[in-house]
Amino acid sequence: MANATVPATLVDHYLRLQRRPTVGVGGGARAASADTASARMDGGRLARTYDAGGGGAVPAAAASEGAASGGSGATAVDRFARAHDDASAAGRRALTGRYSALMPATSPGEGQQYAFEVDLDACSGCKSCVAACHAMNGLEDEESWRDVGLLHGGGDAEPVLQHVTTACHHCLDPACMHACPVDAYEKDPATGIVKHLDDQCFGCQYCTLACPYDAPKYSAAKGIVRKCDMCSDRLAEGEAPACVQSCPGEAIRIRVVDADQVVEESETNLFVPGAPEPGITLPTTTYRTARALPRNMIPADYYSVNPTAPHWPLIVMLALTQLSVGAFLVEQVLGLVAPSALMAAIRPLHSASALVFGLLALAVSVLHLGRPQYAYRAVIGLRHSWLSREIVAFGLFAGLAVTYAAWPWAGAHLLSAGGAAPPWLGWTVAGFGVAGIGCSVMVYQFTQKDFWNGWSTGCKFLLTAAVLGLAAAWLSLMVTAAWTESAASAAALERYGPVLCRSLIAAAAFKLVFEAALFRHLAARSTTSLKRTALLMSGALSQTTVARFAAGVVGGIAMPALVLLSGTPAGQDVMLAPFVAMLFVACLAGELLERYLFFAAVASPKMPGGV
Amino acid sequence: MLRQRDGHLSRDLVRTPGGFGLGQVPARHKPDATADLVCGYCSTGCRLTVHLKDGAPVNLTPTPGYPVNRGTACPKGWEALTVLDAPDRATTPLLRDGAGNQRPVSWDAALGTMVERFKAIQARHGAGSLAFLSTGQMPTEEMALLGALAKFGMGMLHGDGNTRQCMATSVVAYKQAFGFDAPPYTYRDFEESDVVVFVGANPCIAHPILWERVLRNPHDPAVVVVDPRFTETAMQAAQHLPLRPKSDQSLLYGVARILIERGWVDAAYVEAHTRGYEAYAAFVQQFTLDRVAADTGLEPGEIERLAATIHAGERVSFWWTMGVNQSYQGVRTAQAVIDLALLTGNMGRPGTGANSITGQCNAMGSRLFSNTTNLLGGHDFGDAGDRSKVAGVLGIDPEVIPHEPSWAYHEIVKGILEERIKGLWVIATNTAHSWINQSQVRDVLGRLDFLVVQDMYASTETARMADLVLPAAAWGEKDGTFINSERRIGTIRKVAAAPGEALADFAIFKLVAEYWGCGEQFRAWESPEATFQIIKRLSAGQPCDITGIADYAMLDERGGIQWPCPAGGPPPAPGSERRLFEDGHFHHPDGRARFLFEDPRALPEAPGERYPFLLLTGRGTAAQWHTQTRTAKSAVLRKLYPDRVYVEINPSDARALGIRPHARVEVRSRRGRIRATAFVTRSVQPGHLFVPMHYAVTNRLTDAVFDPYSKQPSYKACAVDVGPV
Repeated sequence: MANATVPATLVDHYLRLQRRPTVGVGGGARAASADTASARMDGGRLARTYDAGGGGAVPAAAASEGAASGGSGATAVDRFARAHDDASAAGRRALTGRYSALMPATSPGEGQQYAFEVDLDACSGCKSCVAACHAMNGLEDEESWRDVGLLHGGGDAEPVLQHVTTACHHCLDPACMHACPVDAYEKDPATGIVKHLDDQCFGCQYCTLACPYDAPKYSAAKGIVRKCDMCSDRLAEGEAPACVQSCPGEAIRIRVVDADQVVEESETNLFVPGAPEPGITLPTTTYRTARALPRNMIPADYYSVNPTAPHWPLIVMLALTQLSVGAFLVEQVLGLVAPSALMAAIRPLHSASALVFGLLALAVSVLHLGRPQYAYRAVIGLRHSWLSREIVAFGLFAGLAVTYAAWPWAGAHLLSAGGAAPPWLGWTVAGFGVAGIGCSVMVYQFTQKDFWNGWSTGCKFLLTAAVLGLAAAWLSLMVTAAWTESAASAAALERYGPVLCRSLIAAAAFKLVFEAALFRHLAARSTTSLKRTALLMSGALSQTTVARFAAGVVGGIAMPALVLLSGTPAGQDVMLAPFVAMLFVACLAGELLERYLFFAAVASPKMPGGV
Repeated sequence: MLRQRDGHLSRDLVRTPGGFGLGQVPARHKPDATADLVCGYCSTGCRLTVHLKDGAPVNLTPTPGYPVNRGTACPKGWEALTVLDAPDRATTPLLRDGAGNQRPVSWDAALGTMVERFKAIQARHGAGSLAFLSTGQMPTEEMALLGALAKFGMGMLHGDGNTRQCMATSVVAYKQAFGFDAPPYTYRDFEESDVVVFVGANPCIAHPILWERVLRNPHDPAVVVVDPRFTETAMQAAQHLPLRPKSDQSLLYGVARILIERGWVDAAYVEAHTRGYEAYAAFVQQFTLDRVAADTGLEPGEIERLAATIHAGERVSFWWTMGVNQSYQGVRTAQAVIDLALLTGNMGRPGTGANSITGQCNAMGSRLFSNTTNLLGGHDFGDAGDRSKVAGVLGIDPEVIPHEPSWAYHEIVKGILEERIKGLWVIATNTAHSWINQSQVRDVLGRLDFLVVQDMYASTETARMADLVLPAAAWGEKDGTFINSERRIGTIRKVAAAPGEALADFAIFKLVAEYWGCGEQFRAWESPEATFQIIKRLSAGQPCDITGIADYAMLDERGGIQWPCPAGGPPPAPGSERRLFEDGHFHHPDGRARFLFEDPRALPEAPGERYPFLLLTGRGTAAQWHTQTRTAKSAVLRKLYPDRVYVEINPSDARALGIRPHARVEVRSRRGRIRATAFVTRSVQPGHLFVPMHYAVTNRLTDAVFDPYSKQPSYKACAVDVGPV
């Protein structure tokens, strides 16, 4: 195919030109003379020469090879170098001069802090602030600490489109900071800027759930959260933050605000239409407009409902801790009524398996951390973070549970003393377990999401503990009876099996009805957050929803009911062990699916989004 | 252990003074050099400062102090470097093999095959059976080389650019009215007007940096927006006239009638500098208030108010863009705008003008130097004097210069359909996405004997159809100049390495010349900068004379230079801004501008029983560019626009059709059907739908109708139906 009339080297010539940098290295005369070096063509790669005192960096090869397509020669480099010197001074003036009006004249005093101020009338929706935040802060591919949403409304004669730019609001009462279990957030006492300490963060992402404004962003690659710091290094030097500098309409400013006024405006809900209720965290950003926005302004994404990414380790952790706590609790309750001989027979297997589930839950929960090697830091936030408290409560629960579960085994094999652990220990284990569940509930209650409100979440979590605890206890009883083949066990199974079975049906049925009650929100005319959740569960997540209810009904109601109705002759119950194991698995699957929906279907309050 | 305030994660975000006047930069990306280049997206022509470290670009910021953008950029500009790194960059020539798969081949094999196939086609079907479709995205030097190579070297008769889709209407409108394609304004006019009238333009989204100039206007200008949609710009307007699509002509004539009737005419200006006023004044008499109100659907009072606003303004500027250009009667509509400026003497003074905001970064370069509709340098193929002048400059035989301009884009498409064109060379445009009535054009491209696509990405809809893909270096990987909307010439340069074996389009054209056997003819076109010198000589004596510009260095020092800049004149001051026609002398031989007008025509495809809605198309967001071949490659930009195609529909229509907000709907036209998400919003009027042009499916719906003078496609009005899926 080669064309005889064309020199074979011609293509190579152009490829070589293309690969040669036209722009030299070195920032003008000073940098260039400091960087004096020599250059040559080296295996196709260019080592560069800097001509000392020549006013710039001149790739020698470029100069010698002559100008051709794809790049012009040395003159270009000269040009850049000259431009640099001028740019340093003039550019700096242009930067500071232009933005001085957008910066506060004074530093914040007592009871004051820095805050963003957005002039809605000047924002035309170009979204340069988002791109500039990304570029000027050197963020990851998709990462930007600013977002722009859209509000629309009004009537046919005078419709209104209003873009809304939003970043961290550097709240007076930052939820991220209170939520953080490792104290990776600080509110600067002088500036009020809410700063994130990246190396302190261990990547639990709780702040991303706690912030109503979606300000902290999690980076899976880095295993930590990062967020807007109002370009505090720039501010400190009198330079405007990236978003302020980049806005063509000069719609974003930095202002000094009075804390009192922030509180007052939050109390009267003067924030921006479509935004979460400002009373939660007292955001300091001010949105100004000279126009009266119509009352029917809604975010462009008001009607769009999208599943949230589920947190699998949390799903497993929650379901299994509740299983474990439930199992211990049922055991303690059973111990109140059942003969101690029976309990002694059940306990080794039951408490051991409950413990295994509990430890598994805690192990899996660590996987949720972006930097699990720093899991121990979780204790730092005990004074304010429900997540810290949850971790500590479950840690104590696990520690005591190990002692408790080991007691019969250790007694039998090490102390040769045998016998049960003291009842107070069992109750203490269960007590810490329940406290842990309580902390779990509060972890979600704290986020102020309707679907995660404390009452509903508490019912769900405790009922999960009940359903799985009962199923586990029943299974333990049955396996013990089958294993030991003792008459006492068989009798106990005959006596307590139906009780556990009926209780399971009751708990499971109640829980399913409770969960299904959510769908009443489908009838709501306005798109409330609970209606969004119901829409998700009946729409995008409908397959999971069906599976969840199917598993719940089969494992928690149908299969136990079959056992009850089967009329298995006395003493033959043990034959049902595999069946009960299956229903236990079904119950567990149902609860895991329920917890999946708990995360995937939650509708979070957020700043207005785009189309 | 327990408390860690510093470490590699914190250091990752440390900012440090960047030097070079940049302010603070990410410490990781502290540059050791910077280079300034004009942005490669739209015709605003912002300058961007690329931060270089160890010879490679690491970041960019908009250039402070540049007279166009003054330190700001839209998201596309901010992300201009990111899209160079996409994994689907074309890195090697790809040749379709016998099994129909595109396989990597060497440049030698690729160019050998291209020349062999193209020559075989010409031998069989004649020289004119080859054509090219080019772009407004390449530097002027590359456009000129391509145009000269194709027509003077390879013997092609026909070539056009995607500028046909954006600027052709303005070109013809200006040429007929002023005697030359000469946008008269400078951006400072945005700041100096007291009345700013936008017709079919949404600068807030399409040209955010120009909107910035309006915001900087210290005179508290009255902003008037003529647009069927309630756009962001309309929101900012003192008066918005949401007229019926394509009734602008009627509105503008009606306003003229009011101005004339009330004596609000600058009679002195009209008398001294124009021709055709009497006929125009008589013509507009038929556009009575009642008629215009009926044509446009506007309240009569609003029409009178517009006339009064124009009259009250001391310095009124009129601006139009695609709402006018992409119309079956775009030329006459643009001229109706020009007529109003002439009538009221709003021309040649600060803050005035009838001003077309251009589309692509180098649409203006294409208009003057692509050698398609005009002979190089804004000359006329039909004029023997022009031909011999150009031949003289290039040192070629005048006889190789065709005597007629190229066919327009749609005529080339038709030529393929009629088997008169069998080989096509597509450069830096995406016909299979962007051309009107897409299904048809894809069918047409499929009929070619040999399709060569030269692009920076091997993944465009058109590249995937190609027999041969030539990998091109992108903006930022090569040198040259762009001419922006206000006629400002600015440089681009290589700051990044092109991936693989991709070559600058300039180098590809040079190689094609060598393989074709006409390399000798282009020896003087040694480099982009050498070509710039040729371009200068071609411009000599033309209204766009740039012989006074020494070289690229001068362009950089002066912050770009607006044409004209003839040799001998005083060199423009750095950062200066200049407008045309300050002396009232236009480019027609008699020095007078023309009043041009024509009866408005009915919509080619009016909504009816089966297709009751009118479909408007246009830009979606400031983060999207045309067919998204580049903008879709930036993760940040992707965050800024909806990932799936959507259709805007008025709430009353949605209610009547049972379309719920954010539901999936089907939009149908006589040519095709698409599925989209319904965005129920009052930004469109009842009876209208709006679909952004950036999504690959949009042009399945549009109707291939063209302006008779400019041959520009009418993208913004066809009849469709919509319903729930």
